[in-house]
Amino acid sequence: MKRLPGKIFSTALVKAGVVEATTERDLIRAHMHLHAVLPRLADLARLDDEARTIISGMNVAIEFFVPGGPKVVLHFKNSSVQAVRTGKADVCLMFPTCKLLNDMFDGKKVTPIPIKGVHRMGDLKKLTRLTDILTRYLKPSKSEMADKEFRAKHVELSLLVGLAATEAIATIEAKGRRVASHMPSGSILYHVKGGPKAHVIVENGKIEVFPGDFKDPTTTIEIRDVDLAVDLVKGEVDTFAANGSGDIKASGGLSLADEYNALFDRVGLYLS
Amino acid sequence: MKLNSFDKSKELFLRATKVIPSGISGNKNPAFAVPGSFPYFAESGEGCRYKDVDGNEYIDYLAGYGPIVLGYNDPVVEAAADAQRKLGAAFNHPTPRAVELAEKLVGLVPAIDWCAFGKNGSDVTAYAIQTAREHTQRRKILMAKGAYHGSQSWCRHGLGGLIESDYEHVLTFTWNDADSVMDLVKKYDGDVAGIIITPYHHPAFADQEMPAPGFLQTLRKICDDHQIVFILDDVRAGFRLDMAGSHEYFGFKPDLTCYCKAMANGYAVSACCGSQPFKNAASRVFFTGTYYTSAVEQAASLACLDELVKSNAIEHMMKMGTMLMDGLKKTAADNGLEVRLTGPPTLPFMTFASEKNFRRSQLFSGEAAKRGVLLHPHHNWFIMRAHKEADIQRTLEVADACFAIVSKEFGKD
Repeated sequence: MKRLPGKIFSTALVKAGVVEATTERDLIRAHMHLHAVLPRLADLARLDDEARTIISGMNVAIEFFVPGGPKVVLHFKNSSVQAVRTGKADVCLMFPTCKLLNDMFDGKKVTPIPIKGVHRMGDLKKLTRLTDILTRYLKPSKSEMADKEFRAKHVELSLLVGLAATEAIATIEAKGRRVASHMPSGSILYHVKGGPKAHVIVENGKIEVFPGDFKDPTTTIEIRDVDLAVDLVKGEVDTFAANGSGDIKASGGLSLADEYNALFDRVGLYLS
Repeated sequence: MKLNSFDKSKELFLRATKVIPSGISGNKNPAFAVPGSFPYFAESGEGCRYKDVDGNEYIDYLAGYGPIVLGYNDPVVEAAADAQRKLGAAFNHPTPRAVELAEKLVGLVPAIDWCAFGKNGSDVTAYAIQTAREHTQRRKILMAKGAYHGSQSWCRHGLGGLIESDYEHVLTFTWNDADSVMDLVKKYDGDVAGIIITPYHHPAFADQEMPAPGFLQTLRKICDDHQIVFILDDVRAGFRLDMAGSHEYFGFKPDLTCYCKAMANGYAVSACCGSQPFKNAASRVFFTGTYYTSAVEQAASLACLDELVKSNAIEHMMKMGTMLMDGLKKTAADNGLEVRLTGPPTLPFMTFASEKNFRRSQLFSGEAAKRGVLLHPHHNWFIMRAHKEADIQRTLEVADACFAIVSKEFGKD
């Protein structure tokens, strides 16, 4: 099926009064959902046994897109997941607006329009099981958080979501663009003691996030323990106070950390 | 030797975090120095040394981030402040000290005909850009990328509490690149009210940059050609390069000039000064604050400026600064390290040539603080009149030990 040009389609829907026009907030949130949250399925394959089993049986490319808005293609192949922003997919799920996409991620009942690969319902069911597992880690219950191992996985996935979500702030949000425009290039290593590591590469305002260690980072942010990291990803830590008390140890290029933190601090305004 | 520890500083900081956001706000928060290897709270000071709450004493090169120009607890300034304090600190009206201080500054700085007083640098840089806008009836303000002009919304670092309209008319150019200034002037033809600039570039987390030959003079010409107000932010360097203002040192003439740090040896007073054509616009900008007319600070400023002139303090500070810069370079080289010393001798700054991420600087500064010398790893330093050759010598001895530690940790260059 030939796809309708995205912007024309969404503009037509807005003009017809079928949907509301996209706000900056909607666009940022949609961008975060597709480029910060969904790519975590790749990490889930590494961290969760059940997810790994599901993924091992999948060989499909599934696309989520909003006409005129963000797009992601999840490639499930060889027991791994890769999220990319271009290319073709076997299954295409269209969300007429960013708001509807965001509603689905907020747990509301939204049915995307399948414009390709309707017959691959089995893969979509598996995808739903995977996103359910991911949601469990990102929005855990109190009892789940009592488990030390679960808590560490929650921190890693939440930290990666939060770090990856800064890209939308830096590229779409007017205030964030101001910070990104003069943010120095470099790398930041986040190290949760007794827990995960993740790193961010900033290159001429472009932000990329990866799990794991990084050799010779520009800046190192060492977080006291997983419990503090849990509070940090919830946005409940006064980072300046934590730096002074030694709960967080920042070293190296602090101007990069300071500018980047201004973006990271804003993620909670869009994702909760 | 017994190294300094900072237990009471940390203890007090933990108390502070319960009742003060961030524990210590702004650039004095430990996060901007070397947390754990730096003092957080001060107790007392004398000359070029101060003590922290743990009782550690430091030869200080941060000078309260600039205001201590003569030395802590200078007897002449303190006597002047005490005398005024006995008469009263704040009144319904200014005291004669306000007029005397304005006359003093107008007498010292040939480029100015009038002064208005605030408390901090931010007060007067904000007033200066408002005066420029009032004078020109235009909106845009141009400033150098990375420059610091205070903490008010128009130029504040970060995003906290800001809305786009706070800074939408503030545009940045590249230091020492007159073409990037001209590009903005052309792009916003007829809407540029002012260009604000420091006499030389002194951003935090970077080497300092002196103006390229002709750069400031070219900006003057651009301002003349396009009826733009040329504002000199001399808050940090003022009266540390030339008692007639830093523009005399660099050979150009601003329309408005802002002073603060070296005005009163630690007392809170700042001034926005200007030439005659801008006086009416300045008077139309409502400029006040509860303590803007406080007399103690103005009395202290009168005494401080007199002392700076009488003792030829800048010449002495240049000599001490040069000794420090040359000595650090040599001591680093003796330890197999290459360092960059930038900025004028009265406001020097050091970085390690082989790095851009300040890890060596942080180790060096933390170790120096443990040995009683305070050299900030990310912010320019300040020489005081109270620094003597023996202080510089002692500093270089400590630096030698710290360079050796850096060399051992990171290897020789």
